[in-house]
Amino acid sequence: MASPSRVEVLTLFRSLLRTAREFPDYNVREYTKRRTIDGFRQNKDLSDPSKVTAAFSDGRSQLEVAKRQAVVYSLYAPKVKSVMELNQ
Amino acid sequence: MFSKFLTTALRRTVPKPCHGTRRLRLFSTAAAAVGEPYEEDTTGITMKGVKISGRPLYLDMQATSPMDPRVLDAMLPYHISRYGNPHSRTHYYGWESDQAVEAARAQVATLVKASPKEIIFTSGATESNNISVKGVLHFYKDKKRHVITTQTEHKCVLDSCRHLQQEGFDVTYLPVESDGLVDLEKLRAAIRPDTGLVSVMMVNNEIGVIQPMEEIGKICKEFNVPFHTDAAQALGKVPIDVEKMNISLMSLSGHKIYGPKGVGALYMRRRPRIRVEPQMNGGGQERGIRSGTVPTPLVVGFGAACELAMKEMEYDEQRIKALQERLLNGIRSKIDGVVINGSVERRYAGNLNLSFAYVEGESLLMGLKEVAVSSGSACTSASLEPSYVLRALGVEEDMAHTSIRYGIGRFSTEQEIDRAVDLTVKQVEKLREMSPLYEMVKEGIDIKSIQWAQH
Repeated sequence: MASPSRVEVLTLFRSLLRTAREFPDYNVREYTKRRTIDGFRQNKDLSDPSKVTAAFSDGRSQLEVAKRQAVVYSLYAPKVKSVMELNQ
Repeated sequence: MFSKFLTTALRRTVPKPCHGTRRLRLFSTAAAAVGEPYEEDTTGITMKGVKISGRPLYLDMQATSPMDPRVLDAMLPYHISRYGNPHSRTHYYGWESDQAVEAARAQVATLVKASPKEIIFTSGATESNNISVKGVLHFYKDKKRHVITTQTEHKCVLDSCRHLQQEGFDVTYLPVESDGLVDLEKLRAAIRPDTGLVSVMMVNNEIGVIQPMEEIGKICKEFNVPFHTDAAQALGKVPIDVEKMNISLMSLSGHKIYGPKGVGALYMRRRPRIRVEPQMNGGGQERGIRSGTVPTPLVVGFGAACELAMKEMEYDEQRIKALQERLLNGIRSKIDGVVINGSVERRYAGNLNLSFAYVEGESLLMGLKEVAVSSGSACTSASLEPSYVLRALGVEEDMAHTSIRYGIGRFSTEQEIDRAVDLTVKQVEKLREMSPLYEMVKEGIDIKSIQWAQH
């Protein structure tokens, strides 16, 4: 597989963040956002094409997991939100 | 001032009985209506007579951790279509389950630098501890009649030791220093020719101190005594190397590392070989050490959690450390009389056990309803007695009563920490305002010099 283009990487990044927002659970949602941002930041200087490709395909599979789990989590979301989401 | 003390004391004691009966009644109605134990509507939760506006923020990671969605994702297929018994040798369903179990065994083994053949799946760390302590001594009972453990071990190790004592074995409960660490010289002195096992937990569940594993392992090697460690709180949080630490047996748990509840593992060294008498007899699964069908979905989840822990250990540690500092500095900058229980240097950052002077522990916990924290381990927090771990450290009774354990984990956020700091500070200040003791201390009276008895 050829190494991904800049556009492809940015699309993956945005898709991960968009999926993160779909988690009804406060902690998982925040974690997914944070881990995505930190993960991309960590790998921003990768130049070895094989490493870039590996990181990209890892991110793709994480996106699949997140998409599936966002559905599962929303199926069983509790009626009451976390105190962190309510106004103080 | 003394009159104020009297009225406060009166006010405190009078409504107590009513409160007790009300709680009792509530409890009995709850027991009667099984399946509908609490009310939950969109405006909040009412449970056990307490109304909270939302789900409390969770800071009790030592009790259990939420499951990581990536772990659940790995497990679900084995809950749905891949339901085969991993011990079925005659069809595809069995083979695919068996393959998944063996892959999980390798994932667990990699995290502790062991061979997959040395991993036995159990129902959790309690079972692993029981197999280790009772199983080893029962197997070598002709020659070995003595066990060494510490006073701060988990209940299940201590209870297993007590069980052995009833059977006529000798047990030495090593005291710990005021920082919660074992004195290596005392350990060395306690070893006898008939010592069959040394059991010291790696990370304490209540105070989070990390015991000097490598040094203890060295002493055990010197005397050729098997070394068991309960690593339920350490797995995935501190690096574990069974070779370097010379561990013979090790108990592991799934639900402390964002895995499923009801699964754990026992590491058993093969060279030199350590043998145990099984607790569970039957079909001979798990090399006859733990009979009973291996729960494929749980084991797969445990394996996935271990692999994740391996990948995320560094990232999680940095974050948790920053959050712990934020929590500690936040509380310390606003209130005085806060003491950290256990060693400050040798501790796992995700566990912060604090004592607040001049407040009553139970009231503090009751006031922190929006923060899910506990006073110590989940097993003992139901009783009003102060934790035996803190007493072993030599913490004074009044300070042991006011301990709160904050457990920070992978999914904790800065906002949660800030909220926890806010609520704790508010509650402690409120309680101190009511406390005549605090007032006396502020006036410069040494409370230890007060004679409480009047007769």
